[in-house]
Amino acid sequence: MDNAAEQLTDLLAADLDDGFTELVRVHAKSVHAFLLRVSGSAAEADDLGQDTFLRAYTALRDYGPERRRALHPRAWLMTIAANVWRNHVRSSTRRPVSAIRVDDAQDNWPDVTPGPAERALNTDDRGRLVAALSELPEYYRIPVVLRHVVGMSYAEVAQVQDCPVGTAKAQVSRGMGDLRRLLGTEGELREVTS
Amino acid sequence: MNRKDHGGPPVSRNGEEPAGLLGTPPAPADFALRVLQRVGVPRERYDTYVRLDSPTGGLFVAFAPENVTGSALVTPGLTAERFEESHRARTGRSAIPTPKPFPGLTTALRTGRAGKLPLDPGPLDGATAAVLQAVRAIPAGQLRPLSWVAREASARTGADTDAVVGMLARNPFVVLVPCHRVTYENGAPCDAAYLPAVGDALRAAEGIDMAGVRQWSHSGAVFLGSDTTHIYCHPTCAHARRITPPHRVPFATARDARRAGYRACKSCRPVSV
Repeated sequence: MDNAAEQLTDLLAADLDDGFTELVRVHAKSVHAFLLRVSGSAAEADDLGQDTFLRAYTALRDYGPERRRALHPRAWLMTIAANVWRNHVRSSTRRPVSAIRVDDAQDNWPDVTPGPAERALNTDDRGRLVAALSELPEYYRIPVVLRHVVGMSYAEVAQVQDCPVGTAKAQVSRGMGDLRRLLGTEGELREVTS
Repeated sequence: MNRKDHGGPPVSRNGEEPAGLLGTPPAPADFALRVLQRVGVPRERYDTYVRLDSPTGGLFVAFAPENVTGSALVTPGLTAERFEESHRARTGRSAIPTPKPFPGLTTALRTGRAGKLPLDPGPLDGATAAVLQAVRAIPAGQLRPLSWVAREASARTGADTDAVVGMLARNPFVVLVPCHRVTYENGAPCDAAYLPAVGDALRAAEGIDMAGVRQWSHSGAVFLGSDTTHIYCHPTCAHARRITPPHRVPFATARDARRAGYRACKSCRPVSV
């Protein structure tokens, strides 16, 4: 993984288009997974994912070879994705596009009613976990998803959140605590099934 | 923000709960491709690949806009990620998943006639490319021995049969370059690039009668002649298969046939004609 990341930055430094294609091949899945779990909606994850990579490409075009070589691709992409998501939440709260959006914004992105396709995909447990995740406040949701869905190290999470490692650990831990409490309120069934 | 609920039973689930249950959700098949299209990376800079059904299960096929650049059979050890990595390692090009197969590819797989499909040998050396080209000329439903492949390719290479086996084993276009139609001199299938069961399934799907072939080679005959036309062929050649039983004349060597006044078939070329 470390070796692959080094090769990727070398590729980016040598040839932007080639390196970027490889960047998309390797990281598209985790960026999409991150945005899907953070936003709770497949359509939004898709749109914002496209946006993330477009921004990444625009930024890379202006970077010199040294700067491209010094990148940590995954953490860097997740930083962009997290920013894209935050911007999206802010602008859709301020400038709601449709009536549905207003409701969504007021309910603080509940998305507890996934579409039939998502419901079929999610088993019962997973569906409940996803629903609980979307009830977490945004500043905990991002670190929790980064750590436990994307599977990043605390150092990488800290890099994305632009904070010390200890703070990242605390954020993840508190997020997990909240998540546990949200799931706990659903009753004793959880204990029986697990 | 002081939280005291860090202890207690839930902690024991800490590691496994979200990672196990939330896992990585699947991205849409063409997500990466749409990213590249939207960003505007030229299409010639990367390959795309599809997963198609072949007679033996899944088959990954990677292709550039103009030609096919590689294929691999889906096995438990070969996931999409592994295929992408090995394709990158072999050709130096990234393979991006796409839902749309290369034009003509589905038909080629269904009929087993992939001879017209444009293949890009990529970084292969000239000798291997010539051998693969020779193998591509074997028609669907027919078999050819290694010596035939070596001879057909030798105009450009001069490779011997052992070298040919090695080259077939590294065939980067499995199924599309039909190396399951190559046999040893005794008629036993060569299957250098496949597991034995895979080769058998591919041959069965083309309707090759392996029991008949085995019977032939046990009787010591290598070529089949017709006493009406005085032409001899490889036994699986289309022309040989339509010789009616009373007119079949088996030969053990090309020299025997020539001595009996037979000439070689110009389609399957048992000797260079």
